[in-house]
Amino acid sequence: MKNMLAAFISRVLRRVAQKSARRVLVASRNSSNDATFEIKKCDLYLLEEGPPVTTVLTRAEGLKYYRMMLTVRRMELKADQLYKQKFIRGFCHLCDGQEACCVGLEAGINPSDHVITSYRAHGVCYTRGLSVRSILAELTGRRGGCAKGKGGSMHMYTKNFYGGNGIVGAQGPLGAGIALACKYKGNDEICLTLYGDGAANQGQIAEAFNMAALWKLPCVFICENNLYGMGTSTERAAAIPDYYKRGNFIPGLKVDGMDVLCVRDATKFAADYCRSGKGPILMELQTYRYHGHSMSDPGVSYRTREEIQEVRSKRDPIMILQDRMVNSKLATVEELKEIGAEVRKEIDDAAQFATTDPEPHLEELGHHIYSSDSSFEVRGANPWIKFKSVS
Amino acid sequence: MALVAAAAGWLLRLRAAGAEGHWRRLRGAGLARGFLHPAATVEDAAQRRQVAHFTFQPDPEPREYGQTQKMNLFQSVSSALDNSLAKDPTAVIFGEDVAFGGVFRCTVGLRDKYGKDRVFNTPLCEQGIVGFGIGIAVTGATAIAEIQFADYIFPAFDQIVNEAAKYRYRSGDLFNCGSLTIRSPWGCVGHGALYHSQSPEAFFAHCPGIKVVIPRSPFQAKGLLLSCIEDKNPCIFFEPKILYRAAAEEVPVEPYNIPLSQAEVIQEGSDVTLVAWGTQVHVIREVASMAKEKLEVSCEVIDLRTIIPWDVDTICKSVIKTGRLLISHEAPLTGGFASEISSTVQALAPSPRLECSGAISAHCNLCLPGSSDSPASASQVAVITGTCRHTQLIFCISSRDRVSPCWSGWSRTPDLK
Repeated sequence: MKNMLAAFISRVLRRVAQKSARRVLVASRNSSNDATFEIKKCDLYLLEEGPPVTTVLTRAEGLKYYRMMLTVRRMELKADQLYKQKFIRGFCHLCDGQEACCVGLEAGINPSDHVITSYRAHGVCYTRGLSVRSILAELTGRRGGCAKGKGGSMHMYTKNFYGGNGIVGAQGPLGAGIALACKYKGNDEICLTLYGDGAANQGQIAEAFNMAALWKLPCVFICENNLYGMGTSTERAAAIPDYYKRGNFIPGLKVDGMDVLCVRDATKFAADYCRSGKGPILMELQTYRYHGHSMSDPGVSYRTREEIQEVRSKRDPIMILQDRMVNSKLATVEELKEIGAEVRKEIDDAAQFATTDPEPHLEELGHHIYSSDSSFEVRGANPWIKFKSVS
Repeated sequence: MALVAAAAGWLLRLRAAGAEGHWRRLRGAGLARGFLHPAATVEDAAQRRQVAHFTFQPDPEPREYGQTQKMNLFQSVSSALDNSLAKDPTAVIFGEDVAFGGVFRCTVGLRDKYGKDRVFNTPLCEQGIVGFGIGIAVTGATAIAEIQFADYIFPAFDQIVNEAAKYRYRSGDLFNCGSLTIRSPWGCVGHGALYHSQSPEAFFAHCPGIKVVIPRSPFQAKGLLLSCIEDKNPCIFFEPKILYRAAAEEVPVEPYNIPLSQAEVIQEGSDVTLVAWGTQVHVIREVASMAKEKLEVSCEVIDLRTIIPWDVDTICKSVIKTGRLLISHEAPLTGGFASEISSTVQALAPSPRLECSGAISAHCNLCLPGSSDSPASASQVAVITGTCRHTQLIFCISSRDRVSPCWSGWSRTPDLK
């Protein structure tokens, strides 16, 4: 009897010891429904305090983020596949590897807040509320696409999401303008203006910074630094690659963009900062993209395969969340696998739709050029082809 | 006369009846099948999707410049840049991604050969690139700037129009940035959509003080680019990106110059003058041979080459001879450079043969979706039309006063103003 008790106690103690060994990943387990995690401290610029270094993740939130990130990942891989099968043509910029950014940002703001981003937009499109179906159908240029098949990869829009912009840096001043509207209307909304490390060197970004700071606009500028502007690494493009400091007179945060919880909390912090009327703030998300700049870029001429592999194995955002959830018993491996299966099915269905939906009517080609009460004619490629323009 | 018309119409209908019901992709098929297809209705003609089509027509091997080598467009540009850097020790090349060779391989090998001080990358900032280039040029060094796609030239528009173009004038010839050349890939490529297909030459045509040049082939490109670099005025050199690989011909290895502001009469003719630049020249050449074969219409084909200052004399002389003018370009119709050419010709070419009200047709291409097996984004800016359309136009222009259109689909003559 005593032996059994001793054995039992030693087993318990061993489990406790094992638990403390895992303290790196799990601070403590409060209940079966949530867990507290330590997250990386953000470097600060012109700020006294930053986001917290611990955060609570509930089971429901964890499953949601996992599902969303996995959906974005699978959707991008499916887009890759469809591109190689020539269902998607033109330019296609994939964001796999950067899932924690779009999911974390969405988790830190309200649906009534506004977002505008660059051309690497598919993930943000999904997190802002577009269905995978409508995204893939837009990529393949079909009627069921969110922009009716006329926008393509870089021009997808939905409520409170202003795209999708092909010209690098063009969205900077636009975001500042949206923030002005929020301030003007006094509805406590903010605007997230995303741009990349390449765009950080565009003049119009600096112009947007100045306007936002001058007029204290509720604009969160977010630099998604994936270390390469197309094929140029940040050291070869920027005098100071600390993009969170480039706001000059705008306070900044450097955030681990591969950790969805870090992004979420930093976004909450930044959103609160803006909502309190203090003006704009800058966030640099340190992230990484697995694919090249676009589908025509293999992505290995300016970086090594080893580097990509290393990020995949050590800093993959989905893996980080998965490990956290499994180790803190917020979810089991089987549950997550089940989510994976559901996501796969959703993506496959969406791809099926995207490849079979018909293309838009040729008559629609001339629509929406101008807004006008009556329709007018638009000349086609030669004098005998006329399209009716209706808007 | 009416009998001839009826017979012609009957013959054409007969031929067309055997033609393909639907337009097919014609890679290198030369003359189009389904030519003068009597579309059941005009609406049907509009519904059918048109595929980007042209066949590059190389010029005969040039003999007067020494040894030649087969080069495509990007290699000929590279060769011109190589010659420039070798000849002129102050010449520098800069732009986005030029160091490794450029996204279209126009600067491959130059950094290794001439050093990183002469061939270097800039950050992503077009306004900065051009402004910086103006600064280099003002000191007397030769600046060769690259804007990665013509669609991205607009942040630099202010620098080009307000600074580069006016520098000499506003300083009373004390300063100038004549040694600036801006190179940029231009024109439709098939999958470029809104921001990789634009032809912005018309925007710059509105600005005195700069020169805008567009070659049609590798041989032309090298000679024209070398002339631009050596020209004492700031030049913009647009390179048709669809020709970078598609166009290959014999190009001299040594440097040579092709004069700016001189249009080239590629083919002489007597019935109608066809003017184009860039890729469209090849479409027009094919149209000319189709017109000759099917309609017995003799076309004079002119490559404009320099958009501004353009060769008014050559075009006007040609129109005086033929009495009819068709200009074809990729850029949108309204305000496109064809409108400038047609209004100038109307004003300056008085001739009893010139039918002022209707003979001049400015014609250009708007966006069309890709073919049904390749659903490109419907927001393409410009696509090269099938040559069939151009020939129909020529028929209508040529036959305006002699033969009325002979199939019911074309119930009214085109509105040629």
